[in-house]
Amino acid sequence: MTTSRLDVDSDRLGHDLVALVLTVVELLRQLMERQAIRRIDQGDLSDRQIDEIGTTLMLLDERMMELCEQHGVRPEELNLDLGPLGTLLPRD
Amino acid sequence: MREWGSDSSDAAALYVFAVCDAPDPALFADVPGFAVGGPLRGLRCGELTAVVQTVPAADFTDEAWQARMSDRGELERYARAHHHVVSAAAALWRTVPLPLATLYHGEDRARQALIAETERFRAALKRTADHAEWGVKVYAAPPPTDEPSPALRASGSPAGRSRPVPGAGLAYLDRKRGIQARRERRHEESLRVADTVDAAFRNVAAEVRRLRLHGPELTGTSRLQILNATYLMAENRADELAPLVRELRERTGAEIELSGPWVPYSFIGEV
Repeated sequence: MTTSRLDVDSDRLGHDLVALVLTVVELLRQLMERQAIRRIDQGDLSDRQIDEIGTTLMLLDERMMELCEQHGVRPEELNLDLGPLGTLLPRD
Repeated sequence: MREWGSDSSDAAALYVFAVCDAPDPALFADVPGFAVGGPLRGLRCGELTAVVQTVPAADFTDEAWQARMSDRGELERYARAHHHVVSAAAALWRTVPLPLATLYHGEDRARQALIAETERFRAALKRTADHAEWGVKVYAAPPPTDEPSPALRASGSPAGRSRPVPGAGLAYLDRKRGIQARRERRHEESLRVADTVDAAFRNVAAEVRRLRLHGPELTGTSRLQILNATYLMAENRADELAPLVRELRERTGAEIELSGPWVPYSFIGEV
């Protein structure tokens, strides 16, 4: 590709950067969620602890949605296509 | 097999569509090739014949292809012209199709390069003789959309947000666990269906290539592709395919698309 064909639309770049940052945050959030569910299934957390963790993750989830809304990022944009490896986050 | 550097803009290049096992350089008068080039002709390369067209080099530079790649309609026109020539050749002779955008600086360079590959072309001709390529794509039904959680529905007004009631966190994690478990079950089921279909086709195929799955950009969001493969089938077994697809559809409940017969593009070996 020649440089003259590079699309340097700064709004677009800003949007893509926000989407990338939010994708990474969402990845971490989902990993924490999975880890929490795994620990619950192992049975080493009390109901009170589970509720606290769940509440925190739920609030994070809500906050993510608000951030997406504020920056005009659609939830399905929070993903990366890793080619033959599939996508970074589960697609559904 | 491309060789292209910077060159003067009005130079000519030689586009190679296919290599055939034709006894003599034949006429392709009725097949148009690319609109921008000269007539199609045969180029004798040792014991094989290449189907070639002289084209303006400027229309076939890396930059020109790069621009075409981002314009699906334009790319399709070129791909169809290429495929049309390849299909016409394959209808007459045993043919090895070459990939889109196979270009040489001139006849001598083309002949030299193609003769050097004679052994590979011979092997491909032998392997694909009396065989055709068939594409198989399998789609699973889309997952049901999950209900938004009560917690998320309730958080409509950011101003009045307060700490959720006790138990809300528990319910949230339970819901997430359910989603996760359903996703894993669906995933396993998809793999199982894809393997079932693939195994059934392998039974009747001479060779197989698993291709990369198409994402929702190509398939649409209403269905999920779980198998994208292509099989080299003996021509005398082609009649078995339609009943096989019907049987697999009934057995797995999946949507199965069969396409073919194609010129065996995927089975000519590395280029």
